[in-house]
Amino acid sequence: MKLNERSVAHYALSDSPADHTGFLRTWGGPGTPSTPSGTGRRCWFVLKGNLLFSFESREGRAPLSLVVLEGCTVELAEAPVPEEFAFAICFDAPGVRPHLLAAEGPAAQEAWVKALSRASFGYMRLVVRELESQLQDARQSLALQRRSSWKSVASCCKPQAPNHRSAGLENGHSLSKDSSPVGLVDVAGIRSSGQGLAEWELQGPASLLGRGQSPVSPETSCFSTLHDWYGQEIVELRQCWQQRAKRSQPKCEEQDKP
Amino acid sequence: MRYNEKELQALSRQPAEMAAELGMRGPKKGSVLKRRLVKLVVNFLFYFRTDEAEPVGALLLERCRVIREELSAFSISFIEDPERKYHFECSSEEQCQEWMEALRRASYEFMRRSLVFYRNEIRKVTGKDPLEQFGISEEARFQLSGLQA
Repeated sequence: MKLNERSVAHYALSDSPADHTGFLRTWGGPGTPSTPSGTGRRCWFVLKGNLLFSFESREGRAPLSLVVLEGCTVELAEAPVPEEFAFAICFDAPGVRPHLLAAEGPAAQEAWVKALSRASFGYMRLVVRELESQLQDARQSLALQRRSSWKSVASCCKPQAPNHRSAGLENGHSLSKDSSPVGLVDVAGIRSSGQGLAEWELQGPASLLGRGQSPVSPETSCFSTLHDWYGQEIVELRQCWQQRAKRSQPKCEEQDKP
Repeated sequence: MRYNEKELQALSRQPAEMAAELGMRGPKKGSVLKRRLVKLVVNFLFYFRTDEAEPVGALLLERCRVIREELSAFSISFIEDPERKYHFECSSEEQCQEWMEALRRASYEFMRRSLVFYRNEIRKVTGKDPLEQFGISEEARFQLSGLQA
């Protein structure tokens, strides 16, 4: 199979960030037996993204080898020579032998196993998607806070929300005539509280206001009342966002932590 | 440089971000346009003869440049030799656009930059580091300092 080796080698040598580097002993290579034996060969390894390169030395100008870290697991292993801090990169694919490597000490071994386990493109993509949605939530919350701090009651201005989702949100959420602005609640904490939203009792703002309470009124003494009042608006908005998100892209809500 | 072809072959069988039959022409002078099944899997672009199960070749997409050549054609070249281009011909302007966008996002380095950007933005808005909840805030791959200017 052809590969754009020159470009790959260039990438390996470039000053793009290396995620981990260090000396490792390696078994396997041209002319070596299929069962690892002996002390292996000491090479300089560079992990960039999902690619593990080896070099003859730190100053090596051409990579000796490449391992693509997709569809593999990293496990502690036994080295042919005892007292080596060995681990293996194992692939699920038929005919692909595990890559046996050994670090120079237990800390290095642990660091390599961790770094290699998280090297896949898929892992990075999950984290990026998670942060992307967290940012959208955080921005929406901020926009909500800002909108709530504007003075008008019946004639609320349209919020200047940062992304295209807001256009739909206005339709999905109807501000009750009685709703009053002023955001005092820390809405950014909502995301991290997990299922907190579902537990809130939904109380119509009108019923709260009817009791002489209002977010802007200095007489509003109970924080939990305030909390619930803003919470209702947020619950409704969040339901809209989640529906929209489910429709437009698959979201990994329940993934296992790596 | 040694690499295990079987590892790449296995990767080429993973679910693809995009896959289509396109016209493809290699970078060498005098290359002829050929029909290839082109498959984007993580940061690799595999290309197959249309009736074969194993790819003819693969392109690692780190540090590549994707340029529109014609209304429905684009090329991929690499930073160290921008004139050496792999040409691809699509069946429509739309398909061309779709592929170009997907390819531009298909590098680990692009994702790294996105992650650092989002992490920073979230910190600005919420005052918190979103990676702390995962216990990965100290990992090298997520650091701002790792990025080049």
